[in-house]
Amino acid sequence: MNQNPQPIDPRWAWERYRPSDDAPWDLRKAGHLYRRATFGASLDELQTAVREGPDRTIAGLLQGRTDAQADELWATMSRTIAANNVGPDGANNGGQISSLWLYRMLYSAHPLREKLTLFWHNHFATSNIKVRSAGYMLGQYELMRRNAQGSFRTLLVDMSRDPAMMVWLDTTQSQRNQPNENYARELMELFSLGVTNAGRPGQRNYTEDDVRQAARAFTGLRLDNGQAVFREAQHDNGEKTVLTQRDRWRPDDVVRICLEQESTPYFIVRKLFRFLVSDSLAPTPELMEPLATEFRRDYDFGALVERVLRSNLFFSSHAYRTKIKAPVDFLLGIVRGLDGHRAAAAGQGGLGTVELSRTLEGLGQRLFYPPSVAGWEGGRAWLNGQTFLLRQNLALALTSTTDTRFGRRLDPAPFLRRQNAGTNEQKVDLLLRLFLQGDVPAASRTRLLDYAASAERQTYPVFWTADDAANHRMRTLCHLVLCLPEFQLD
Amino acid sequence: MRTDRRDFLRFSLAGSSMVALTGAIPNFLGHTAAQSPQAQQAGARDTILVVVQLTGGNDGLNTVIPHSDPNYARLRPTLRIQNFLRVNDTIGLHPSLTGMQSLLQDNAMCIVQGVGYPNPSQSHFRSMDIWHAAATTDVLNEGWVGRALRHIPAATSFHLANPNEAAPLALTGAPSRVPSIGTLDDFTQRLQAASAPDRRQQRDLLDSVSRPGNPQSSMLDFVQRTAVQTYASSQRLAQIGRDYQPRVPYPTTALGNHLKLAAQLIDAGLGARLFYVTHDGFDTHAAQLPAHANLLRDVSEAITAFYRDMAARGQGNRVLIMTFSEFGRRGHENGSQGTDHGSGAPMFLVGGRVRSGLVGDHPGLVNLDQGNLPHRIDFRQVYATVLDQWLGVPSRQVLGQAYDHVNVLRGA
Repeated sequence: MNQNPQPIDPRWAWERYRPSDDAPWDLRKAGHLYRRATFGASLDELQTAVREGPDRTIAGLLQGRTDAQADELWATMSRTIAANNVGPDGANNGGQISSLWLYRMLYSAHPLREKLTLFWHNHFATSNIKVRSAGYMLGQYELMRRNAQGSFRTLLVDMSRDPAMMVWLDTTQSQRNQPNENYARELMELFSLGVTNAGRPGQRNYTEDDVRQAARAFTGLRLDNGQAVFREAQHDNGEKTVLTQRDRWRPDDVVRICLEQESTPYFIVRKLFRFLVSDSLAPTPELMEPLATEFRRDYDFGALVERVLRSNLFFSSHAYRTKIKAPVDFLLGIVRGLDGHRAAAAGQGGLGTVELSRTLEGLGQRLFYPPSVAGWEGGRAWLNGQTFLLRQNLALALTSTTDTRFGRRLDPAPFLRRQNAGTNEQKVDLLLRLFLQGDVPAASRTRLLDYAASAERQTYPVFWTADDAANHRMRTLCHLVLCLPEFQLD
Repeated sequence: MRTDRRDFLRFSLAGSSMVALTGAIPNFLGHTAAQSPQAQQAGARDTILVVVQLTGGNDGLNTVIPHSDPNYARLRPTLRIQNFLRVNDTIGLHPSLTGMQSLLQDNAMCIVQGVGYPNPSQSHFRSMDIWHAAATTDVLNEGWVGRALRHIPAATSFHLANPNEAAPLALTGAPSRVPSIGTLDDFTQRLQAASAPDRRQQRDLLDSVSRPGNPQSSMLDFVQRTAVQTYASSQRLAQIGRDYQPRVPYPTTALGNHLKLAAQLIDAGLGARLFYVTHDGFDTHAAQLPAHANLLRDVSEAITAFYRDMAARGQGNRVLIMTFSEFGRRGHENGSQGTDHGSGAPMFLVGGRVRSGLVGDHPGLVNLDQGNLPHRIDFRQVYATVLDQWLGVPSRQVLGQAYDHVNVLRGA
């Protein structure tokens, strides 16, 4: 539902956002930026962003920080998991890679890069349910992460010979005299062109014959000792007509032809729009045109991301809270908000990402296990009665003292104490600022204050100290804030 | 349409009747009104299927026993069951299956003998995948139940899961994720309340902050509607948990608890039609006798209690319970009083409308293939029958080809 009946001016939309009296740079916008471009922020980070302004904050997010020690740890862990790939009787250690990535998302010094890698994971949606190789899956992850802010062209070319993808879409099964069409089809339908022209709605982008001919070009790709090799003898060297171009095409030629199509930049831009800007605002061809035109020049994905993040539209009401949080965003938004990642870095014990990643499965987003090659549907599909309840109960498990599944808990009580929140009003406002940048209906805030006041008057079990009761009230307030419907919005 | 709905919500909320909002059937799992299918309409009968997976490879030969076959005693010198429950002159049941024997006498149990598939795999993992996907191709990534659910999208379904049990392959491919639940607690909105009044206050607060009130934001409106429905359904399910009294005692085993949960959910009228539950431990390579006796007792007691409970509620003709295992075990026992992985084995079908008794011949113990019992009936024939005749789902579309039906259901 568009709040604004007039169509959005595409020129205005993608121009650089400059703070003004009408559109001030404030905590709300900083929170919005951190939700979309990262996995959430602490209050310190948000307040720093407000001080430094949008330009410097976005530059910092785009560049990230380096953390050699963390990178080394990652390399060791991923090597170990890949080496212990398959357990007895063919069972594979898939759960480990899910929690490994969640771990990196949680502690990363460059969260935007992980977020964009997640975008590509959803785009090239490869599932370990079929690949059944932690090493291959982590290899594909590295490929996407390496190019997460780089060239889409490079990424798409290299994806054709990525071992996980070759298993996932049967390139390894493709025979010269019996080409398997799986990869060729998805390359066109899901990875580059889309079924119908994203720039000209209604027009089909390719024919079944294009798929068949392109499939011939991908014959000859094989895996040898975990590496992609091109075997001339198994390649169909004949002429093929793909999207009206005819020659003795090989794999890279088909990818190049796909990248030359008018629809491809639109298709990718639309997907990024849905990921970064809005679930509900329609990505009309007019609105996408300025981005698509620029993107097609050399497929610089990093530049595209930067333009979107710095734009008027991104910081407008058309984008603000017009997405449903994905499960990882919901989860990590709570953890990072309460400094869960910092506490671990300071040697105060870490959260168990193995259990957390299992919880993500219940919420519908098991990393490295998208439901199909089309990826997660996202948007409203994230929430139904059951996942909603699981989210509320997860928020409780993370902030209460009764649930020990996740190892060290996030205790909001010390956080509130550190911030010198003495009165109920200060406590409620601080929690609302942290998690919702204070942007909730006045009635909701009043309800929270009323609850805080009446909770003080209630009878607690006799064996509780006054501190126990005060901590309990703070944790409860935190849980109730996390249960506000606004907190489900991204 | 959308405005009407919102007005309706406001109207209902103004009356502060949260339950009235969701109507008779809580919209708990994201389906818009899980309507009860019409009994007359083909493919939309209000039938319920409970799949019970015996994980690890159940020893079919000691479950449905060819007691008169001299080869049985020869192959099983230490594991032979002599105090079997007699079914007829040639076949007996394991003595743990007293409950199932009583179902047989009440015309509510069908034993399908010698079920398997060609070129059987003896890897747990691979063979289980084959049973889940109902296919033997190299790559298996969609389940037969999940595919069936595409044809009956309004059918609510549940994976009755043990703690940390992943969703089975059989359920993948469904139009919406089949939820895994372990207990009715999984439906509970948890709060950290110091007392009952505290809990009530927190609940009131959540209800109040979730009321739809901002038509400007479609996303917020969506979240609020989801929240209101969820809170109402959650309370209703908690009420069901308190109200529900089983008509017969259930065993206090994991399987018993799961089937009791299925009975509660059926009783709640949520439109639930498919349940999937697993019972692990059948990989009896050593000291099989006592372990296998306990496992079969668990299965028999839980299934019998569930069926009798449903029958006492007048739902006996709506339910069909189907057991399977990824394979049977080797004909001859091994050197550690156990058995190794085999192939063909029996399946049990329990319900008010099964054709009670034995279906198919015992595979026999003469022409064993490397010690493995041959199969006479392809498991996909059983699936096809259940799909076409019980769930009303076109089996050819789910299984990719037509399979001959087996005569396991009455009045089909």
